[in-house]
Amino acid sequence: MVHEPLVVGLALGHDAPMATVMVIEDDDRIRLSLLLALEDEGYAVTGVATAEEGLIRQRRQPVDTVLVDLMLPGLDGFDCIRELRRHDDVPIVVVSARADTHDIVAALEAGADDYLVKPVAVKELTARLRALRRRIRTSAAVPSLVFGDLEIRPQAGEVRRRGELVRLTRTEFHLLCELAEHPGIVLSRQQLLSRVWKYDFGDERLVDVHVGRLRHKIEDDPANPTRLVTVRGIGYKLQR
Amino acid sequence: MRRPGLHARVTFAFAAGALAISAAMALLSYTLTAQTLLSGRERNSVRAAYFDATVAQAGLATDHPDVMEVLRTLDTGTSRRVAVRRDGEWYARSADSVARFIPKDLLDMVMAGQPAGQRVMTDAGPAYVVGVPLSPSTGFFVVDSLQQLDDTLGVLSLVLTLVAAGTTAAGAAVGWFTTRRALRPLGSVTRAAREIASGRLEARLDPTAEPDLAELTSSFNGMVDQLAVRLERDRRFAADVSHELRSPLQTLSAAASVLERRRAHLDERTATAVNLVSQELARFTDLVTDLLELARADQPVDLEQVDVAELARRTCEDRTLPAELVTVAPGTNTVRTADRRRLARVLANLLDNAERHGGGVVAVRLGGTAGSLLIDVEDEGPGVAPHDRTIIFDRFVRGRAAHARGDGDGTGLGLALAAQHVSAHGGWISVVDRPGGGARFRIELPGVG
Repeated sequence: MVHEPLVVGLALGHDAPMATVMVIEDDDRIRLSLLLALEDEGYAVTGVATAEEGLIRQRRQPVDTVLVDLMLPGLDGFDCIRELRRHDDVPIVVVSARADTHDIVAALEAGADDYLVKPVAVKELTARLRALRRRIRTSAAVPSLVFGDLEIRPQAGEVRRRGELVRLTRTEFHLLCELAEHPGIVLSRQQLLSRVWKYDFGDERLVDVHVGRLRHKIEDDPANPTRLVTVRGIGYKLQR
Repeated sequence: MRRPGLHARVTFAFAAGALAISAAMALLSYTLTAQTLLSGRERNSVRAAYFDATVAQAGLATDHPDVMEVLRTLDTGTSRRVAVRRDGEWYARSADSVARFIPKDLLDMVMAGQPAGQRVMTDAGPAYVVGVPLSPSTGFFVVDSLQQLDDTLGVLSLVLTLVAAGTTAAGAAVGWFTTRRALRPLGSVTRAAREIASGRLEARLDPTAEPDLAELTSSFNGMVDQLAVRLERDRRFAADVSHELRSPLQTLSAAASVLERRRAHLDERTATAVNLVSQELARFTDLVTDLLELARADQPVDLEQVDVAELARRTCEDRTLPAELVTVAPGTNTVRTADRRRLARVLANLLDNAERHGGGVVAVRLGGTAGSLLIDVEDEGPGVAPHDRTIIFDRFVRGRAAHARGDGDGTGLGLALAAQHVSAHGGWISVVDRPGGGARFRIELPGVG
């Protein structure tokens, strides 16, 4: 199976490091079309046809964002995401033809940051990539926010629980910071989708699953959260 | 009138059977007993009458008998009253005026020399009259009260009736409990069927639980297996179709966007061709997406609490329409149990429709009674003619664009999808009159939220 060599993209004429993207897609034509389109948009794109190759590549030459299809030969998209997440916090966007809630939630629970259903317009895709690359803008003057045994340092990009570093994906961290900067205040899912994922009108499942993932990492009993609580009918809040 | 259930029918049958049998038995018992007692009593009565007659005969055998004296010597007890008819005159003890109870036929028969007995009704209840001829001119009569026997028979009939009633009730109870026990295995069939209907296709009946229903169990399990296979095949087909349609569209979309970017570098003819490709591709993508969604619309709704007013506002804003278009009638509870995604799609469809065919949305009104929530999307365009108001919800029916727009016509599926999503919530959607002209699309969501 031929895969495209790493293509050096268009020179942008400034010092900003070019955003790198890896596309894991077994359909040759889709992969090629995405490569062409994303390069046009200024990304340095690598294409691979199997999850196994993708995992190897990411270990050798990590990229800024991974786009992954779910239906792959050999290791499927879900396992690929899980495997990536064991060692990597790289933003992962699923681009898949499967539109069922079950698949969406499973992919997000496995560790994906976002989920797009094919056919996805190039404009939409690049908007998602930009949203994930953005640095968290933090207005907090304080270097750290404390919630019981949880310490969040937005500027440093660190979260500690009982002194131990907690590994979070970029999106999970962003979500936690957003809630932490408004302690005890309820943020609706649409508000969170707008601030964290930059969606005008997004899919609430993104927020719900990410909150679930956060709870598994910061709560003593994820099933009965005491810090990151649900306010029924309204949204979520982080409390001391 | 609804036909009563199996349980009720069997119980009724048991009760009816018990009633029939116990009633027959009671009747039989009563009849035989009454018959026996009565005839015995009558025989006794006759015997006693003859005894007294003999005594009277002896007393009257003198030349100038004192009939009253003779009567007084008789020992009749309290239940028997005696009278003598001699030479056309009635003689009886002072308190016993019984002559009027003695039927004429019997009197005539006895005076003609024939002894006779008959049951009559007297002032003191039923009685047996015995007449014994003593001589051509003398007849001896006894009126023997049957009241006591009557009372006894009355008690007997009461007891038998109670027993019959009790037996009937017992029969009904037996029937009820028997059917309950017999129908219990069917309870597990009902439960399994219910589980399967709600989507849990792993439910099967245990063949060892009720060996008598082995045939039912095995055919039920077989049916479910078939169903599961069929459903799985359908699901796989739908997923395959979805995948096969979406994949090429992804390639086309990305490739077309590459072409679009370079349009400035193309000659006019090629540029026009690229335009056509892009536009039709966009339309085709919308069509396929709508069709696939229509095909999936029979999936169960994903319910949660939704503030419909908030959803309406967001949907407006998402289309760069002012949120102030959304108004809520005072006292309306806008929080409902609904599938947020589907409801958003419906609202989006209606807003797009109003933009495309109605010259723009003028209002989104929420209101309704305690039960249903009404959502009206209004425009001031040409409106929808009454004869079109049902067919616009059919598939592939398109209206005329209010004015020429670059994006062209819709897919013709928007309203069909809206109708399907709304009915998945148990509600309905229609076009109603709007005072002042234009179109008013009304969604009605039932339930108490």
